Amino acid sequence: MRRKALIRYSACIVACLVLGVAFLDPNLPLLKAQESIETPGSKVERKNKAPLSEEVLQVKLPKPVEAKLQNGLTVLILEDHRTPSVFAQLRIGGAGALFEPPSMTGLANVTAQMLREGTKSRTSLQIAEEIDRLGATLGAAGSFGSSQVVFSASGLSDNFDSWFALAVDVLLNPSFPQEELEKLKQRQRAQLRQQRSAANFLVNERFNRAVYGDHPAATVSPTVESLDALTQEALMRWYRERYAPQNALLAIAGDVRARELIPRLEKWFAGWQRNDVKRTWPPNPVAATSRKVYLVHRPNSVQTTVALGNIAIERRSPDYIPMVVMNHILGGGVSGRLFLNLREEKGYTYGVYSDFSALRYPGPWRAGGNMRTEVTTGALVEFFKEIGRIRDQTVPLAELEDSKRAIAARFALSLEQPTAILGLAASRVQFRLPEDYWDTYPGKIMAVTAEDVQRVARKYLDPDTMQLVAVGDGLKIQSVLEPYGPVEVYDSSGKLTSIPKQ
Amino acid sequence: MHEQPVKTAKSFVAGLIVLASIVTGTLLESAESESNQTVPKLTKSFDVAFKEFRLNNGLRVILALDHSAPTYSICVTYNVGSRDERPGRTGFAHLFEHMLFQGSENVGKGEHFILVQNNGGSANGTTNADRTNYFETLPANQLELGIFLEADRMRALNITQPNLDNQRQTVQEERRQNIDNRPYGRTHEAVIATAYANFAYQHSVIGSMEDLNAATVQDAADFFRIYYAPNNAVLSLVGDFQMDVALRLIKKYFESIPAQPAPPVPDVAEPEQKTERRKIIEDAFAHTPRLDIVYKIPAGNTPDWYALSVLGQVLSGGVSSRLYQKLIKEKEVALSASAGPDERRGPSLFWFSITARPGTDLAALEKLIYEDIERLQNEQIADWELSKVQMQLRRQRAQQRYSTRARANAFGHYAVYYNDPQLINSVQQKYSQVTKSDLQRVARTYLKETQRTVVITMPKPAAAKAALDDR
Repeated sequence: MRRKALIRYSACIVACLVLGVAFLDPNLPLLKAQESIETPGSKVERKNKAPLSEEVLQVKLPKPVEAKLQNGLTVLILEDHRTPSVFAQLRIGGAGALFEPPSMTGLANVTAQMLREGTKSRTSLQIAEEIDRLGATLGAAGSFGSSQVVFSASGLSDNFDSWFALAVDVLLNPSFPQEELEKLKQRQRAQLRQQRSAANFLVNERFNRAVYGDHPAATVSPTVESLDALTQEALMRWYRERYAPQNALLAIAGDVRARELIPRLEKWFAGWQRNDVKRTWPPNPVAATSRKVYLVHRPNSVQTTVALGNIAIERRSPDYIPMVVMNHILGGGVSGRLFLNLREEKGYTYGVYSDFSALRYPGPWRAGGNMRTEVTTGALVEFFKEIGRIRDQTVPLAELEDSKRAIAARFALSLEQPTAILGLAASRVQFRLPEDYWDTYPGKIMAVTAEDVQRVARKYLDPDTMQLVAVGDGLKIQSVLEPYGPVEVYDSSGKLTSIPKQ
Repeated sequence: MHEQPVKTAKSFVAGLIVLASIVTGTLLESAESESNQTVPKLTKSFDVAFKEFRLNNGLRVILALDHSAPTYSICVTYNVGSRDERPGRTGFAHLFEHMLFQGSENVGKGEHFILVQNNGGSANGTTNADRTNYFETLPANQLELGIFLEADRMRALNITQPNLDNQRQTVQEERRQNIDNRPYGRTHEAVIATAYANFAYQHSVIGSMEDLNAATVQDAADFFRIYYAPNNAVLSLVGDFQMDVALRLIKKYFESIPAQPAPPVPDVAEPEQKTERRKIIEDAFAHTPRLDIVYKIPAGNTPDWYALSVLGQVLSGGVSSRLYQKLIKEKEVALSASAGPDERRGPSLFWFSITARPGTDLAALEKLIYEDIERLQNEQIADWELSKVQMQLRRQRAQQRYSTRARANAFGHYAVYYNDPQLINSVQQKYSQVTKSDLQRVARTYLKETQRTVVITMPKPAAAKAALDDR
């Protein structure tokens, strides 16, 4: 139930083939280490004695049934009768935070959350009680940077008709009651301060601001002022203009019969009319052209939370596939070089990874983790060393093959979860990828060469233009950051500041 | 390199879960049959059929087939947790868990994860007060790999000073990340340290920095010998394999690992608590106070524990729950509120955890909780509240059934905690036996002042001032 006995995950993990000589970028500032306690002799080692099947299990993903309702709503249905469960997710394009006016940040999310706070025939409490009585779940959110709002519901197939009808009522007949809106805004205001206590929030806020610049994805939170501006009229207008069936995708997985369900969906959604909403996409974010350093001073911190990176690619970019492989080699989890180096050999951190966001517009590649304050210097050196290495040296063949195999073989695991298969299909539709995209995906991964990896690393991972954010004890780390570029200092409320003299 | 019969490409059959073959029971001639039992026929569509064996060295083996996806999960659950630690060595069980990824006779340091990940799988280990588990999920054609990896480290772990020092640092970073550098990170430790009198449950799983520094290679060698023996473990395997093939491989790799004398059983009994305990701690990061109220309750898998679990759901399960509606929506005094029991093999805690809104009068907030408890003691809950909890539990169980890992881990949990893997199916019945009168009775029996510990986490003055300025 809510509170389990404390469980600690030890993401004990890995490392890879130790390759070649570690290469130090000559352009890097030479820093004297604050602390260089390296553990002698704790090196990753491969004995190659395990019994393995050399084959990569080829799997064919089941294809959901695809349909378009008369009002333009796209529907994907994946039948899976293993358990009496059904999952439904509606993604409404054009209704996300990406399109909201700058003075009204939070509009998309608050509109989505208000859906379940009252309909023409039900109060907020009635909705909550009905959903819980049916054992179902219902939620909606419009996350920052997203072009969509996502509306989710799940429950048992035993009473699917009841909870799905309720979800449809919430979606199509919201009343946005004034009193509930005030209460919701009050709850959100109370969270604004609370979220600033977490280093993760602070690093995300500053990193997005740094890489996205003027693009709306720079925002990760509403403000007191923007919440004040969210009136009932504004929400109703947003809902009326933006919740359009022709821009939406309904994905359903589980214990349903597609052939029987589609005609019923027509009836359920008959009242949802097309409109003529036009989506004007904001200009794409562009990569920063010079390195800049941001320090968020969080007194009493015992770790430095680091994020570094820059805008890279969009989802449909031809570089997407080589980026997947390159990122996997460098920091995509337990066999990444960053993890191997900074955790398994140096003991600087509990976990260190890299990732990239690729949507309709280009998003950042980003690396980071939490390191104890005393080794911030050494950790930064190693980050830039690893970035330099993947740019300047061709990845050894064995390491490349292992990475590609890891990505391709992992595909089989997605077959356990119907929602995972459906998620793949939904992103194919959303990004207008070819019909056979996922069928040919493992083959495309296996075709990536060492030259491809190096090319995308050089193109998108430029240490001279990366944005570097560090959240921690400014008294101890400001001088550590200075060699990397001009440092802008913020306090934990997000205001520009300077570090008080000791 | 050993050759393993390779499963040919297999397309996913959306449809039936294939459990029939185990229920009818394929004859397994090679099986040790000390505790070979077949489960009764399926009663619910998502019950899990399984077979159980015990090897000569005492290793308990649980196998459940599921051919609906070309994957499997293996889990080894050891009957050892932080409750087995001695004073001066807090955090050792968890530090030792990290050592299981540092190499064994035929697997190099870090190679465990390389092998699993490069073949499409995922793996991890977790430690809590009552057990330690290790698990892998892999494509079905790598059945032998998972069995080999778990057996090799149970047989011959490679413990060295450099690797111990390296993982000590990693674990200390884990402690910083999850406890020392996080708002309310130390609250959990303060609560158990105050509520429990017995060392076994009084200290945290992660342990203190000082004790982590004190751990030696000799400690690790002793711990391995005493607790990481086949007769002190349960191996569970769930997924897409052939029963006889799996059992043959398990015997091949595990059966020659020698048994050890049974480890000591820790005393987890708690002396009777006679009066309320209170504590106030300061938090360097929090911006608003948090109120934790805990009550001593019986161990998991007892009728009263199930009743208390239902009670927790009535209080805080879903938006219609009592605490959400009253504290968060109506009175607007809390940012979050949860209630429910933790699950231990010994004395457990029923735990209220409320984050206050800035400016809330804490004494008044505490009183609101007690009013809710009194209401549970004096009035029966509504019929709809009980039936809603039953429905929510049914859905949660159904949704967890997709994952082979969730099932493999659940088998290990029920076998090690309660010596009853059949609970994976019968737990639903335990919940459905709970009546409204039971709820009233357990509220009266356990949620009383003398059993209570209250811990208030206050923002340090600087943080508190910032919160006030912001309002």
